[in-house]
Amino acid sequence: MAVITIDGNRLEVPEGKNVLECALDAGIYIPHLCHHKDLNPLGSCRMCIVEVEGREGVEPSCKLKAEDGMVIHTQTDEVKRLRMLALELLLAGHPEDCSTCPKYGHCELQMLIQYIGPKTGRLKMRSKGFGVNEKNPLILHDMNRCVLCGRCVRACNDLRGVGVLQYQKREDLEVYTGTLHEKLLKDADCRFCQACAEVCPTGTIRDILASSEVRKEDYVVPCRAGCPAHTDIPKYIRFVKDGDFDAAAAVIREKLPMPKTLGYICTHVCELECKRKMVNEPMSIRNLKRYAAEQDTGKYWKGKGKQLPDTGKKVCVVGGGPAGLTAAYYLRKQGHDVTVKEALPTAGGMLSYGIPAYRLPRDMVQEEIQVFADQGVKIECGVRVEKPTELLGEYDAVLMAIGGHNGVRLPMTGSNLPGVLLNISFLREATMGQETGMGKHVIVLGGGNVAFDCARTAKRLGAEEIHVACLEARDKMTADDEEIEQAQEEGIQIHPAQTFEAITGEDHVTGVDFMNVESFTFDENRRAIIKKEEGSEHHIDGDTVIFATGQRPDITEAAGLTLGRANSIFVNDLTKDKRTSVEGIFAAGDCIYGTKSVVMAIQSGREAASQIDLFLGGDGDIEESLAPEQNADPYIGVIPEFASLPRRAPKIDGAEMRQDNFNLFDHGLCGEDACAEAGRCLQCDLRLQISSPRTWGDFQKEAE
Amino acid sequence: MSALETVKAMGREAALEKIKAAGLKDYGLKAGSIAERMEKAKGSAVEAGLNNADTDQVLLALLAQSPEKVFEGMCAAAYVVGAETVTLYLPAGETTLAENLKETAGKYGVSIVNDIIDVRAAEECLLLHIVTAARLADLLEDSVDESVFISTDGNTGTWVAADTKVGDLVSLEGAKAVRMGYRLYTPEEAKELTAADAINGRIRVLGEKDCVVQEVLTQLGRDRQISCGKCVFCREGLIQLEYMQREITAARGKGDFLDLTREIGQAMCGNTLCTVGQESAWMALDAVEKFGDEYVSHMKKNKCPAGVCSAFEHIYIDPKACTGCGDCLDVCPKECIEGKAKYIHMIDEFECTKCGKCVEACGEEAIVRTSGKLPKLPTRLTKVGKFRKH
Repeated sequence: MAVITIDGNRLEVPEGKNVLECALDAGIYIPHLCHHKDLNPLGSCRMCIVEVEGREGVEPSCKLKAEDGMVIHTQTDEVKRLRMLALELLLAGHPEDCSTCPKYGHCELQMLIQYIGPKTGRLKMRSKGFGVNEKNPLILHDMNRCVLCGRCVRACNDLRGVGVLQYQKREDLEVYTGTLHEKLLKDADCRFCQACAEVCPTGTIRDILASSEVRKEDYVVPCRAGCPAHTDIPKYIRFVKDGDFDAAAAVIREKLPMPKTLGYICTHVCELECKRKMVNEPMSIRNLKRYAAEQDTGKYWKGKGKQLPDTGKKVCVVGGGPAGLTAAYYLRKQGHDVTVKEALPTAGGMLSYGIPAYRLPRDMVQEEIQVFADQGVKIECGVRVEKPTELLGEYDAVLMAIGGHNGVRLPMTGSNLPGVLLNISFLREATMGQETGMGKHVIVLGGGNVAFDCARTAKRLGAEEIHVACLEARDKMTADDEEIEQAQEEGIQIHPAQTFEAITGEDHVTGVDFMNVESFTFDENRRAIIKKEEGSEHHIDGDTVIFATGQRPDITEAAGLTLGRANSIFVNDLTKDKRTSVEGIFAAGDCIYGTKSVVMAIQSGREAASQIDLFLGGDGDIEESLAPEQNADPYIGVIPEFASLPRRAPKIDGAEMRQDNFNLFDHGLCGEDACAEAGRCLQCDLRLQISSPRTWGDFQKEAE
Repeated sequence: MSALETVKAMGREAALEKIKAAGLKDYGLKAGSIAERMEKAKGSAVEAGLNNADTDQVLLALLAQSPEKVFEGMCAAAYVVGAETVTLYLPAGETTLAENLKETAGKYGVSIVNDIIDVRAAEECLLLHIVTAARLADLLEDSVDESVFISTDGNTGTWVAADTKVGDLVSLEGAKAVRMGYRLYTPEEAKELTAADAINGRIRVLGEKDCVVQEVLTQLGRDRQISCGKCVFCREGLIQLEYMQREITAARGKGDFLDLTREIGQAMCGNTLCTVGQESAWMALDAVEKFGDEYVSHMKKNKCPAGVCSAFEHIYIDPKACTGCGDCLDVCPKECIEGKAKYIHMIDEFECTKCGKCVEACGEEAIVRTSGKLPKLPTRLTKVGKFRKH
């Protein structure tokens, strides 16, 4: 240890530690610009200069190593004069219009001006005349605002080992930082980690996605923010890349107790948010999850995880779908005695009766449900609860998670004719091997994933001609693109932008009358405004019509609960307060917010578990830490042609092979491809490791 | 026995003792004891080159004359400090020299880089001037030679005794100023100096026909070429100094330019990390300090004493002598001469660069160069012989 004195403050610091850091750590502010806690000191901006007693001249404190007995002054006249001159020199090449800069209010240079004082105006100002470079994805360069602190160059070279950014000199000798010969970042093998934008003190290198309205960690790592359960996606992808699939699966399982199911059929909002899509194609996150879950041996979670001692409280979960089972699982882990009552013969809800087996193998769903049972959740099947309020005698709390199992029949001519079927009943009957009433020529009305489940199920049941018609234009259809494309491969005909005029027929369906939609918009009250194309009336023949236009909870007022819009069970707040109109009864999943996705249902179940635990006297904390520590290496290095690495495709059986049976046809990624795919990740979360700047304002606040 | 063989034969300690005893100092700007620096060097590299600030580069002649000696010295130093990599830095433009030296360098395991030395990256390295490397080789071979390499105006350079008086190397008669190393001296000061003071090997005498401000301006431009741009005082300071000298030579000097040149120049010396920033302000500082009358003349008397700065000159077409032949109009590269056959031609002073091509082209000697006031000239096209002074 060394004892140094800074402006009269006696500090005990490690010998050799740089004096600037010593001061900042001790709450003494020394202005600085090129210095950054995580980067090698450069000593170039001269903002942090100090005088040391017994030494001539001034020295930058970022490069000054603490020695025992050193007496340092940070505010002498000479220091102030030179600091001011350095700032004036910097500002001579910097635009004067702070107010139009996107970094206004967060700019370290601006804060330095506030601390040191305004310039005198005696130096020659110049505009560097750089164009704003918006040619790169994710990162924008406005070199006119650059003050050559060199942080970006050090971050790119020393911190990341990528070395894309270097000091460059233009023909007129103006210095800037950038790629050699002004190559595009992707051609320079940039890894798009955005460390450069993170450390830039001014508005020069900017994150295009940065927003003052969204939390920083959300816009920096949008996949994690976009996942309803906020799964730590970059973390498990890194484990997959390293081949540690057990650890990867454990990361997933910390938030999602049905990793395999989600690996097969998750609607993957994460992939829609993935920043890699701006570089070339988004990460294949769902397939990586599936691969990790399939390779998982349970090393980090089987028989581990959280299990609190029994509380003696009893909970009944009505409905054995993903929301109910998830809630039951976590409530059990909180020590409660949990019983799931499922109306159908098998648990799983839509996983067992809605989503067709060719997308989600039934035995796999049961295997995942077994984990819940092993944890001590009692599952009773074939038990239909009509009066949930009566359960309150036996149970301390009840969770309604009954999903939406009533298909919606649109009120239109012919909608009650024989041959008109409803989505959910059709899929359920098909699963159970019952007679569906389907003919040979099927018209499915609707454009979501359920419509395609119906159409493709019809195909597999032997329908000869299948049409899918919907109101939305092709690019606005809510079904996944791969669903639509695969259906077309199987010979299913798609008719987007259609209004359903009438179902024709006297005593049985003979077809549907359609008109073309010219425009389909919503007004300010979110009411649909549909403009039809004149004279576009046409007819499609068919002996079966399947409504796939939504589904609603199978419940009436007779159950004793207040119902809301679209027959949903009313709760105080969809996420934060899932209490229903009856004390002790909660509700979660599709039955409160309408049909969304499995991952939403799981998250809703997690929220319900936490809230019910609180209600029962627990702490409501259902979080568990399963995965091992991960030392994410910030030194990512160079990968040749990183930007153009293609998204790895799963192995999918051809239409011929798959269209007449219910066998699984998407076999996911193979081992080699999974690791390669994981290597494509931009690792956006590494940026959050980088220290925040320490500005004068921070020290002011501390002092107050 | 070569220097490298010698040093290996005698061993590290003995070699260091010998260097210490000889009191060998680094050549050029960082003239510290080499033995001391060798003892301190804990890095694994030896880097040699010119001083970063050396834009004259005459000492590169040493590498052309006896490259082996320089490499021997570098490698011997590397052996003494236990360095693994040895690098020779050549100026960015010297790619041909680098190519020529490649084979010899390869024999010694020395790599060559065309750049200035990055002093930040080299903090732990042993830095050597190439002259020091050569002297080290001489010392170890017991053939100590104290002569220095000097190039005077336009000459390729020769070896002279270090204590040769400057007056014996160049003629100081009629001299206005003397440039040596990175500094500017008055002839009186120069008389007291020796060859050893020309630490980059160059002596240049400025005569009556040389403009001191132009000399400073040109040098600042060369300094900007080599500056890496990291240190704010070097990068931005040079821009401000260059701007002010350019304005002064363009007859647009302002009152506070001399004070500002002093303030920025002095700050540059103490607030930059390598010799580019530390030395490049000295020309301007010396000029302002010792040749203030040159500045006063440019800024207050509207005159370049050497007649070099064209902003203080005018070229005009004498309306009495012009015959309207159009020869001047044909040669003007800026197309700033207006006229047609049999009409008096006129020069647009705003566009004119004073290149003088029209003066040469005129057969009538009607185009005049002057640093005095302009006479009354026509303002619109006037027929030859019709112009009258009113």
